[in-house]
Amino acid sequence: MNIPQDLLYTKTHEWVKVEENKVKIGITDFAQHEITDVVHVELPEVGRGIKKEQPAAVVESVKSAFDIYAPVSGKIVEVNDKVLGSPELVNSSPYENGYLFVIEVSDEKELNDLLKADDYKNLI
Amino acid sequence: MDYTSQNQNDKKQMLETIGINDTYELFNVIPSHLRAKDLNISCGKTEQELLNYFSKIASKNKKLVSFRGAGIYDHFSPSLISEIIGRSEFWTAYTPYQAEASQGTLQAIFEYQSLICTLTGLDISNASLYDGATAVAEAALLALRVSGKNKILISSALHPDYIQTVKTYLENSKTKIELIPLSEKGNIEKNIAETFIDEDTATVIIQSPNYFGIVEDMDVLSSLAKSKNSLFADVVNPLSLGIFKAPGEYNADIAVGEGQVLGSPMSAGGTTFGFMVVRKGLEWKMPGRIVGQTIDKDGKRGFVLTLQSREQHIRREKATSNICTNASLNALAACVFLSGWGNEGFYNLSQINISKARYAFEKIKSLDGFKAKFDKRIFFNEFVIETSKDIKKINKILLKNNILGPLDLSTAGDSFGKCLLFCVTEQRTETEIDNLVEFLAKA
Amino acid sequence: MEKLLNELSSQCKPAYSVKCDVEINAEIPENLKRKSNLGLPNVAENDLLRHFTNLSRRNYALSTVFYPLGSCTMKYNPLINERIAKIDAFNDIHPYQPVESMQGVLEIVYELEKDLCEIVGMDSFSLQQAAGAHGEFAGLLVIAKYFKSIKQKRTKIIVPDSAHGTNPASITFAGFEIVPLKSEADGSISLEKLKEVLIPEVAAMMLTVPNTLGVFEKNITEISKLVHDNGSLLYYDGANLNAVMGIVRPGDMGFDVMHINLHKTFSTPHGGGGPGSGPIGVKSFLGSFLPVPRIEKRKNKYVLNYRKSKSIGKMKAFFGNFSVILKAYVYVKALGGKGLKNVSKQAVLNANYMLAKFKDKINVPAGSRCMHEFVLSPKAILENDVRTLDVAKRLLDYGYYAPTVYFPLIVDEAIMIEPTETESKDTLDKFIDVVNKIILEEAIEDPQKLKNAPVNTPVTRLNEVEAARKPILKWQ
Repeated sequence: MNIPQDLLYTKTHEWVKVEENKVKIGITDFAQHEITDVVHVELPEVGRGIKKEQPAAVVESVKSAFDIYAPVSGKIVEVNDKVLGSPELVNSSPYENGYLFVIEVSDEKELNDLLKADDYKNLI
Repeated sequence: MDYTSQNQNDKKQMLETIGINDTYELFNVIPSHLRAKDLNISCGKTEQELLNYFSKIASKNKKLVSFRGAGIYDHFSPSLISEIIGRSEFWTAYTPYQAEASQGTLQAIFEYQSLICTLTGLDISNASLYDGATAVAEAALLALRVSGKNKILISSALHPDYIQTVKTYLENSKTKIELIPLSEKGNIEKNIAETFIDEDTATVIIQSPNYFGIVEDMDVLSSLAKSKNSLFADVVNPLSLGIFKAPGEYNADIAVGEGQVLGSPMSAGGTTFGFMVVRKGLEWKMPGRIVGQTIDKDGKRGFVLTLQSREQHIRREKATSNICTNASLNALAACVFLSGWGNEGFYNLSQINISKARYAFEKIKSLDGFKAKFDKRIFFNEFVIETSKDIKKINKILLKNNILGPLDLSTAGDSFGKCLLFCVTEQRTETEIDNLVEFLAKA
Repeated sequence: MEKLLNELSSQCKPAYSVKCDVEINAEIPENLKRKSNLGLPNVAENDLLRHFTNLSRRNYALSTVFYPLGSCTMKYNPLINERIAKIDAFNDIHPYQPVESMQGVLEIVYELEKDLCEIVGMDSFSLQQAAGAHGEFAGLLVIAKYFKSIKQKRTKIIVPDSAHGTNPASITFAGFEIVPLKSEADGSISLEKLKEVLIPEVAAMMLTVPNTLGVFEKNITEISKLVHDNGSLLYYDGANLNAVMGIVRPGDMGFDVMHINLHKTFSTPHGGGGPGSGPIGVKSFLGSFLPVPRIEKRKNKYVLNYRKSKSIGKMKAFFGNFSVILKAYVYVKALGGKGLKNVSKQAVLNANYMLAKFKDKINVPAGSRCMHEFVLSPKAILENDVRTLDVAKRLLDYGYYAPTVYFPLIVDEAIMIEPTETESKDTLDKFIDVVNKIILEEAIEDPQKLKNAPVNTPVTRLNEVEAARKPILKWQ
């Protein structure tokens, strides 16, 4: 299972990449494997405000649908349109081309609550 | 008769295998004070007795020559339909969840979806809903879901049962429902609708032909909805689309309607089916089952239920709708119905409905004591006539002569106090129409 | 492969035609006319008959195979039901005919309402709803309206996690919030856990009895007391009514509202996914909230009453799926009270017989006794990445429809089997042998056989992932 060291994680299997005051978010390799073949993704509206742990996106397989939660509070500033047309990217490239959305962080302290790679590894 | 097939010997062996002496022991877990007394339902009848019993009940119904519509219509049903829907491989099958064992039902629904799409000119059809009324309610919910807005605007010339169903469906929500009043000409006018529509309007729902039979100018109303970023949802009679403009041609977002006219009998109003078809982009928000084409392991074409993560068995409380059952068998009837006319034949069928209704209209409105409520309007197979005569008496005479007369519209509002809604389909012969006219003349 | 209709389309004379016997000029103005191509196929009647007959042969159906589909009660659909439903004087009746010309229709609806009340111990029934989920929705709207009428604000409904997906979906559909309740391993309710979630905002609790693991809720009396002491109502999901007819009545167990699936328990066919019918029954204090019109009997005449000020309104147009209602009523008259009781006895006997044959070989999470259905969990036996789905697909090769799989959600790799009362011991024995063979022999000795299954069906395993990723939803 691929768990990059330079990312932060949540208990609900989102990964978080901090880029200045923004964070890029996707689901982990573990999560995409559990979900199996992703067939559809629903993304939030750009510009929408969101609170930590609120559902922000939905990742769906043939037989299931999973809510993806915002790891931190802030504003959605970018979404990855590519996964709408090619949902398989979430499976083939969970940490790169298959990312889901970007949040502009409103409270940087919330980042401290996220898991480090080793903690996440222990969790799964 | 109870249709079980175990004999005493089978039962004995089964009890032995389980390790009990009597079937009742299997119910020991049920607290004894809750056990039911013997059901007070008369003892069972044999097949022969059933046939006699129900023939007698059937004889208390009167099969009439119908000039009544208002949502359910007497249309011709080609022999092929009863032959196909009578095949037990279709009617005794379950919902096609195991696709490999359900290719017949799945392909038939795929064909149904294709036919509904081409007929309406829209992109994506589901596998059918319960009926026309619930299809309208689902359309309203779809629009509310997609738009995030809070108000729906409905033509007051939508079938009253449909309006009531939408209200019931939304009863426990905070949605605002407003009705666009009817113009004096019997249609929905843009300048009246304009005063009701606003930025919070999720959808504008218009029926055409409307409850009073009149074909609406859908182009104008659709543009109006679009100007406020509202979805345009129309309720159409699919048989009328041989002649009248298709939802796709006036950029409707959602088209719904009652499918009974496509090969289902009237059956006292059920079972029928509702259809729903949407423009591309709304498919993941749509309620109900959808069939898609795919390939099997060997590359052969096959069909499956798809986009299932919208549905209740997967998404539970977050599903697009709680609907599970569709009206598969009625949709199959529609599929068989739509596949046998060809373009010209279907156009012709639409035209005959219009012609016969027009023929009756011209004759009735020129009778003494009868006049057209909305003259010079275009209608499909229904029209409103105002009369100075006693409506109850007219219908009584007609009933005595095995004719189901027009619908008394007095409950449809003050301005309809002396009005009758006539319906004439391709089923009515010239003689039957002339006969009706004669009775009316004498009334 | 069976061609599609658009591929069959040719220059032939199409199957149907009608003639016009009146002469009239009925011109339509250009702005209302259709301009686009209708795009309908042109196929001769002969070819259409073959096409649809061939399609029908690509289905498994109750009339060709055993359907041990848990939770769906795929019992024999008596042919007499269909024969009676085809009588012209039932079929060719307009719903707005004067009541005096449709007394037969109204009699059937009225009398079935009465019989259903007797069978389940309720005071009033409405047959308007078109399906089970539609019934749930109506029942919940009745509950909402009731609390509104007594001016109590109750916004939540308790539902166990073993419930059918329609339960939670109907709850949100009706504008309520869900209070989930974790069930025990056998799907039953813990009184302690129930007490924790019984807060004042709870309007009702939805319960399936027997539950989706086929277990009767032994604490039902206590549950009913707790729920009612909280001022809440108890809702019965009738999906599993086939287990208890004539044995115990939901109304006597304390349920206030319920729905029935006529297309399950009362043998009306499933039709490949519908139409169905989902009557709801209520106790007398809720009767005035049922949908309109109500059918009433006055001086030996059946009439329609639309004037019910407290009614939730209409759930669909007209009075319900009459042809389904008719078939269910024929069934009730065929069986009578004794016959219905025998149905449940035999359904439960059949299920327990199968369970007894399986229980020493395959894990049964809900114990060694059941009501009308039971759940197997072969997880511990299955190796080599073989899954329940593969077992289900392999069963198709042996000429069986597959049982319900992966439901209830609280059981790993669930296989849910409901034999119904209408299957013979011989059918059950053969099926048991095949399931044992697949799980205990083939899955271990030749797992690839399961992975490749089915091979004896019109198509082999279909690619559902591509179907959803790149949807093709109509002719190309």
